[in-house]
Amino acid sequence: MPKKQRPPVVLTPALCKGCGRCIEACPKHAISFGEEIEQTSGYVPVVIDYDICNHCGLCLSACPEPYGLGNTVYDLEHPEHLYGERAARPPRPDDIAARQIPLPELGPLVLKGNYAAAIGALLSGCRHVFGYPITPSTEGAELLSKLLPKLGGVFLQACSEVATVNHMYGTGGAGLPTMTFTSSPGFALMLEGISYMIGAELPSVFINVMRPGPGLGYIGPEQSDLKLCCRGLGHGNTHAIVLAPTSPQEMLDQTMLAFELTFKYRNPVIVAADGFLGQITGRVTLPDAMVEPGLPGWAVYGDAAHSGNLNSSIFQDWTELERHNEHISAKYREMQKHEQRFVANHADDAKTLVIACNTPARMAKAAVEQLRREGLPVGLYQPVTVWPFPIDGLVPLLDHVERIVVVEASDGQLEDELRLALHSAGLRGPELSHLRHMGGILPSDREIIETVRGVTREA
Amino acid sequence: MSGKTAFFEHFDRHAHGKGLKGATTHYCPGCGHGLAHKYVAESLVELGVEERTVMISPVGCAVFLFYYFDTGNTQAAHGRAPAVALGHKLANPESIVVSYQGDGDLASIGLAEIIHAAQLGIPISVVFINNAIYGMTGGQMAPTTLMGQTSTTTPHGRGRMQGPPMRVSEMISQLDGATYVERCALYDQRTRKACKKAIKKALTLQVEGRGFGFVEVLSECPTHWGMSSIDAEAHVRDVLSKAYPLGVLKDEAAEPWFAPEKPCFDPGRVVEVIEASAERPERFCSGFPEHVDPVDVSIKLAGAGGDGAQTAALLVTKAAINEGFDATHIPSYGPESRGGTSYADVHIARDEVLSPAAPEPHVLVAFNAPSLAKFASAVRPGGVIIYDSSVISAAPEVDASVRVYPVPCAEIASSLGARVVKNVVALGALQEALKLLADESFLTTLRLSLASKCAMIPVNEEAYRWGVKAVREGISAFDD
Ligand code: SF4
Repeated sequence: MPKKQRPPVVLTPALCKGCGRCIEACPKHAISFGEEIEQTSGYVPVVIDYDICNHCGLCLSACPEPYGLGNTVYDLEHPEHLYGERAARPPRPDDIAARQIPLPELGPLVLKGNYAAAIGALLSGCRHVFGYPITPSTEGAELLSKLLPKLGGVFLQACSEVATVNHMYGTGGAGLPTMTFTSSPGFALMLEGISYMIGAELPSVFINVMRPGPGLGYIGPEQSDLKLCCRGLGHGNTHAIVLAPTSPQEMLDQTMLAFELTFKYRNPVIVAADGFLGQITGRVTLPDAMVEPGLPGWAVYGDAAHSGNLNSSIFQDWTELERHNEHISAKYREMQKHEQRFVANHADDAKTLVIACNTPARMAKAAVEQLRREGLPVGLYQPVTVWPFPIDGLVPLLDHVERIVVVEASDGQLEDELRLALHSAGLRGPELSHLRHMGGILPSDREIIETVRGVTREA
Repeated sequence: MSGKTAFFEHFDRHAHGKGLKGATTHYCPGCGHGLAHKYVAESLVELGVEERTVMISPVGCAVFLFYYFDTGNTQAAHGRAPAVALGHKLANPESIVVSYQGDGDLASIGLAEIIHAAQLGIPISVVFINNAIYGMTGGQMAPTTLMGQTSTTTPHGRGRMQGPPMRVSEMISQLDGATYVERCALYDQRTRKACKKAIKKALTLQVEGRGFGFVEVLSECPTHWGMSSIDAEAHVRDVLSKAYPLGVLKDEAAEPWFAPEKPCFDPGRVVEVIEASAERPERFCSGFPEHVDPVDVSIKLAGAGGDGAQTAALLVTKAAINEGFDATHIPSYGPESRGGTSYADVHIARDEVLSPAAPEPHVLVAFNAPSLAKFASAVRPGGVIIYDSSVISAAPEVDASVRVYPVPCAEIASSLGARVVKNVVALGALQEALKLLADESFLTTLRLSLASKCAMIPVNEEAYRWGVKAVREGISAFDD
């Protein structure tokens, strides 16, 4: 093309960092290092000799700056450009809400806990599941790897738990429901990713079928990830709603609830089950509706409507990062206000209150029923959310409760949540005692009965 | 610049677009990142896919990639960009997903993710910036740092104790899953042109659903190399590209294949897939087996892995639930269930099973001697023990109130030509000894469970009847 017809090459000196890579690129040697400091940028831009330049444009593809060299003058003076009014963009797309689709009345299913949670995920509209096999949670992934392809869904076996949580970060970031099955050592590996999800405000559901540690421990039932779930979700100021099921039915119901809550708050939700809950088979009644997921306005879905969106947890400005943390903390306060859940049995007139969750709550319920038959004023308070701890339901009971017995399969992790909640509520609370097992052994109803009898006798 | 690109016209995310930051990158003068960005930005527009593109920002100097790309953007944890990219790609197969990573991110902390993403071969595009140094953290050794090269963590030069540098493209090109791998540079007009072409080619492979594309870019880091931009270009030309030869390492012809189905939310199909049904199973029991326990019956089934204790336990659980009771089954699980011992705890409750374990069962079904020895004494007074007398010779010593039934389960099953049904023989014996539910409760549940293996139904029914008969007639040894 003759010189006249090619568009001229224009240097915007303020945007040139003076690296000189264009100098080498110019076959006519029309560009040279400058000598004058550009006042606005502090750099020394290159200089183009327009008498020599023949508009060949080879320098353009050598310039690492998007707008340093161009064919038009970059309009630096435009006030919008200078002061950062957002350049015109299409408005953020509307949220497409998830849709409830009625199901016909169905007979009960007989399901293992892991299967029940998997079916809960399918009924919640989850079609993207990632996972790494780990006992005693694996059956969830196995069932979904079989069923998802029949529903146009994907199960991807990741190369590790670290990869798993990051696959979920991608799918959650695209605005779709996603989940995994894991167990304690695997869950521990996912924590960094969970922190990133919380920071970037992305939804995802984790079914953590807890087993004993420390280290490799073994595969029986334990509850010793409650600390991680409630207090240790990776680095930073992190929290997530932690649900504690007690049966296959609740594995399904709480998985469905988890999907609802994860999108409501744009924050991960953890279903913390113990090993028995993954393995126990029982009756499961199906809900009367399933969910077709929507597509939130904030999603980075990879289409034109959502192309302006960003998932990120990095804020260079410390004030902004503090504000972001405050925004996330405000969500935690909302969760604490609205999402406390519990079940109480014989608690209204109890003098001794047993507190337990997961499978130990079943043993505790059996013990309480037995002790009530014997005439002892004993009740059960079962947190359904371990975080937020359901303190609001407990406070009124403390008028008549004289002692609390915490029953758990860990070295006091549930009790710590109780103590923190009491303290935060400004209460000393009644006398606390406990029954604990570890290593895969669950407290039995008989032991609970003996413990309760013991503390009542002492009093 | 020349053509249209996928860059924002104004970088509002870069310090809120204030002043010059709204139009310049955060990169050092002469840094290769800006060029690689430019070639991606141009290619996306040339392919007409910028609006459906998701750029994954790594951790490293390119962490702020999202300042510049007017596309969807997701910022990933260190090293995890390919995993995040796959999450995006699978969520929306029509999206174009680019994982953009540096050498620390991709070749060190994220090595597992990139290798498995490449081997998986799902069409995403990876741009790998190799400048043989950690930029963002201040010039530390990278996996790609050359032998002898100094960095802030190899002040005396990389030596034997740090191991030799890693040639990533060579590694990726060995993986069957990767379709296209090329190493490029940016030091002169020719290499820059080739780099742009390679990036566009990798993206094209993705747009057409053909495969995984990987472009390594030998890139200048004048800052941490302590060189001028011009010298840095020369360093890539004369040194880096000698250690990491440029060129196409793999370019396989691949047909378009990536076209996943759309997710299905049809309630009818979902119900079918989860094998739910509106049909309620028929009931055969007149009431809860109060003669065993007023509210809750517990049963332990124990044997070796393969004895069928778990299957039998599940059948009892299902039969009880079909009768409208609550029931649970907990297996011993994990490695134990593979060949070793296999125990199952079952509860049947009139209203609700509370404690699901069965430390003191009403009933013990034992398939081998160790199981019988271990659990016989735990059976409650007035309870029942059924054991396989074909493999256990000695009757257990138990409380006089416990009824003990030796049943030759294995021998009966063998005589029926199917050793696997010995657990069903035990089931028949259990029902006959205890009158737990009704015979039809078990037989119906058996038939339902075998719906997909109809041919097995007759032998199972026969096994069940033999179990009933053995208890009724006191058959403890079996000769066929
Ligand atoms: S430190 Fe190196 S890689 Fe990072 S922006 Fe500067 S020149 Fe580029």
